[in-house]
Amino acid sequence: MSYLDLTIKEIHEALVAKKVTPLELVKQALERAKANTDNAFEIILDQEALAHASALVEPEIDNLLWGIPYVAKDNFSTKDIPTTGGSNILNGYVPLFDATVINLLKQKNAILIGKTTLDELAMGGTGKSGHKGKTFNPYDKTKQRMIGGSSSGSAAAVSAGIVPFSLGSDTGDSVRKPASYAGLVGVKPTWGRISRYGLFPFAPSLDHVGFFTRSAYDAAIVLASLAQSDPNDATCSQTAPENYMQSIGQSLAGKRIAIIEEIVKSKHRPEVIKAFDALVEQLKNDGAIVTIVKFRRDLLEAIFPIYITISCAEATSNAANLDGIKFGPPTWGATYEDAMRQARTAGFSELIKRRFVIGSYALLRENQDVLFLRAQKGRRLIVEQLNNIYQDHDLILAPSAPSIAPKFEDKTDQLSDEYLIADNHLVLGNFGGFPGITLPLGMLNDMPFGIHVMGRPFEEGLVLAAAQSIEKHTGLRNIIAPGEVNS
Amino acid sequence: MKTISKDILKKAASKLLFDMTEAQYTLLEDEFGTLLSQMDLIGKIPDIDSVAPMTFPFDTGTAFMRDDIPETPSPVTDILRNAGHVEDDQIKLPKVVG
Repeated sequence: MSYLDLTIKEIHEALVAKKVTPLELVKQALERAKANTDNAFEIILDQEALAHASALVEPEIDNLLWGIPYVAKDNFSTKDIPTTGGSNILNGYVPLFDATVINLLKQKNAILIGKTTLDELAMGGTGKSGHKGKTFNPYDKTKQRMIGGSSSGSAAAVSAGIVPFSLGSDTGDSVRKPASYAGLVGVKPTWGRISRYGLFPFAPSLDHVGFFTRSAYDAAIVLASLAQSDPNDATCSQTAPENYMQSIGQSLAGKRIAIIEEIVKSKHRPEVIKAFDALVEQLKNDGAIVTIVKFRRDLLEAIFPIYITISCAEATSNAANLDGIKFGPPTWGATYEDAMRQARTAGFSELIKRRFVIGSYALLRENQDVLFLRAQKGRRLIVEQLNNIYQDHDLILAPSAPSIAPKFEDKTDQLSDEYLIADNHLVLGNFGGFPGITLPLGMLNDMPFGIHVMGRPFEEGLVLAAAQSIEKHTGLRNIIAPGEVNS
Repeated sequence: MKTISKDILKKAASKLLFDMTEAQYTLLEDEFGTLLSQMDLIGKIPDIDSVAPMTFPFDTGTAFMRDDIPETPSPVTDILRNAGHVEDDQIKLPKVVG
């Protein structure tokens, strides 16, 4: 057993009792990171992490992140540390400043040991489009199954027991879906709850900073450290955060939980629905009031096209600064535009170019009304319906994915019920900015599958409490993929 | 709405200042078949034009000006360190005029 296999809370207790030091933890985390074969890392920060850990001597009893190693997705700016966003167009880019979340964790003396792989510029959900190639699911030793994306490496690092928590970002489901595939707790808080200063933007109306842990309580610890206003981010809320360590302990007795019938009845593996139904009965026994509610099917079927239209359109604007002039591999041409065209042609992958073209097509003058603006209108109709549900309910519960992690070569009919609803409903949380947590629900063929709980804006405490209750029922807390680094 | 053709896709890519191969345009044209079927689902929502577009989840309510806090700017050498071509403390570009 290694202390790295414990939760943040348990590691903290060991640090305070001086059973282990930050330096010992970091050395082992670095060893595990180097031994890992899931392609989780863009860069491993040996010198920086060892120097930071060496400077930490006297434990801070009230600081639960003191001396805890972690990793961050490579789309967070890190001062003097290369940050690529998983794209060749940013090869060699070294930011001048830290993202607010990186800075907050530095102040807590959590120790950054590496930057992790992602789908290029966070614009994907498979973990195979980043410039370093596929990231693998630590649960599948045959390397056939994806871990999902776009926060692929951050999920893999926590799932493989390299670190107890990691930073990711979630624009559609980029933290919560990989969490489902990797047996993790994946948190996407309310839009505006955590500062996005220093996060590379993909689609700002949908982007959230999120994170992975292996227990609900650890999620409360990390959220408590990151949730605050930020003068550097005008979209970061001034609403005071709850006391998450306290609110996670609340009972679900009397809480009203909605289950959207059309989501649960869309195509899932029977084992997933069986486990989901069993859990619902247990929550009812806890005193929760569970209701099946209806949702307009035409709106649910439009989730994915609305998402792809809005996100790709926003992305085309956000990526306009990636010109190969101010940063990125140097290019030259007869004109400024020629230099930029060369940089972008060489720097963007085929997949990302196709996404940008989708966005540009939706924004063409003759298409804007029927595509882009209608997608934004559809988003409003969906959020209005969700808000109606929240008038009578505290939480919405659903399976987080149709099944276990798919294989890389699996094909899905992209007009099917399974794809349009079961595989994409987590985006509802991004449309309305609702806080959501995915956590393990069960195992199938030695692969995890998950459940998703979503609450009202700025009510993360109740969502965390629900996650902790679910965790007690499933017994799937702090699970680590069996493998070469932690056996 | 513009119907899809390779020319339309090339126009969109050109506006984005990158090039794609013919094979990539062919693949993208095929993908658009599915994508437009998906986008049709939005148009089929009967009351789609009854509401205003939603641009953000909600107003985060920042209604004050923060205090000015003096900061020391980064050194020029640091700011320029990511640029490929630098001359006289400025980023060098291909000549535009003359």
